[in-house]
Amino acid sequence: MSGYETITYEKKNKIAFITLNRPQVLNIYNVRMRDELYEVLGAVKEDSEVYAVILKGAGEKAFCAGADLSEFLSAPSPTGARRSRWLRDVWGRFLSLPQPVIAALHGYVLGSGIEMSMCCDIRIASEDAQFGLPEVALGIIPAAGATQTVPRTIGLGRALDLLLTGRRINAQEALQMKLINRVVLKERLFPEAESLADKIAGWDQCAVRAIKQAVSRGLDLPLEEGLKLEKEIII
Amino acid sequence: MKGKLEITHPAEGLALLTINGTGKNNHADVGLAGELRQLCEDINFDSGIRAVIITGAARKGFCSGTAGGKKSAFSLSGPVAALNCPVIAAISGEASGMGLELALACDIRLASVRARFSLPHIEKGLVPSDGATQRLPRLVGRAKAMELMLTGETITARDALQIGLVNRVLPQKELLPYALEMGRNMAGKASLALKYCKEAVMEGLDMALGQGLHLEGDLYFLLHTTADRTEGITAFKEKRKPRFKGK
Repeated sequence: MSGYETITYEKKNKIAFITLNRPQVLNIYNVRMRDELYEVLGAVKEDSEVYAVILKGAGEKAFCAGADLSEFLSAPSPTGARRSRWLRDVWGRFLSLPQPVIAALHGYVLGSGIEMSMCCDIRIASEDAQFGLPEVALGIIPAAGATQTVPRTIGLGRALDLLLTGRRINAQEALQMKLINRVVLKERLFPEAESLADKIAGWDQCAVRAIKQAVSRGLDLPLEEGLKLEKEIII
Repeated sequence: MKGKLEITHPAEGLALLTINGTGKNNHADVGLAGELRQLCEDINFDSGIRAVIITGAARKGFCSGTAGGKKSAFSLSGPVAALNCPVIAAISGEASGMGLELALACDIRLASVRARFSLPHIEKGLVPSDGATQRLPRLVGRAKAMELMLTGETITARDALQIGLVNRVLPQKELLPYALEMGRNMAGKASLALKYCKEAVMEGLDMALGQGLHLEGDLYFLLHTTADRTEGITAFKEKRKPRFKGK
């Protein structure tokens, strides 16, 4: 599909492929990418032909090395920046997709890169992947959900270790910490992601979507209510 | 002043609290709890302190419950959980009962190979009452938390690492140097960002995800007003080390 500058979008056999496409700058996230992701995710959400989504990065070196800092310090005001954050809530849109989303991670997965992958449902990484949340070293905190999504995925103790130290970890340690689901050889990364998406796309889609919803909404509820939700959703 | 809790400043912005309780296992009592409460209050008021390390005195354990395992009316974890800067526990030897509950209130737990962990309350017909029934399942999951509390069993540093109770296990000699290095590192970062990061994580876990994301966003944009943020980003662009002022 056309018109995008920072991403590419492709649909093949019920699978949507979203590729972060600024390989010359390690796919760093900028305002343009935000707007394009916002738009494409909106289309994917409504597209009943899409059964599963794969999010990946173009080029050899990175899935996404974080935010484009050249755009920082240029916002008109904190209140204006806050307003745009919620007018174009790209992370909320990621989380609201009814289809399962698989993140295929290689090379640098830093800052917003990790955060974007945490908005996905399953994370596969190649052996060369490196992870880190360097925000505190810049005098800021993560703003694409990491303070919320990371502890919910890997637990409080491990999350604070990554967030408060800003240290880098490799794919093996990320696997051990449960930050990612599996590690594969680099040349197997995209094929593995695709075969996983194929598998999911082969199931009954009502069941797939119901499971995703019951799990993600259920985590926000007391157990009793979660159990009620599970019953109502499956019927 | 010779109390049961010593405070030193091994680096600028870093406070090291050393617990010197009774006996080899470093038992807690009401005196220690009082000193800890006072110190933690002082630290929260003193914007010069940007990171805290808590450890046990040399050749003693980290900290254990009351001598004899008696029920206690005081709290060690409460004041520490209320600290708004990052807190590292450096644990060697025994961390049991209330001592383990104290460690659970810290943000990062480092252990030496000699560390041992247990919640033996059940053996005396008691329940953990300084936070473990709430903090432990949130940290290691329900199954492992139940096992530790319902059996009263002691686990090793390796086991603790595997279940996520501690972040790292180090040789005995390297424990404190490692903790100090980590603490120095944190104390050199932007203190407001560290505090807000901790606040977003801790408060956010008690909220629905959507609310937590809003909290994170609000704290993020509040940091837009700080000099440290401008310095951090400018330094990155200029490829130099930032000089943070906590403002």
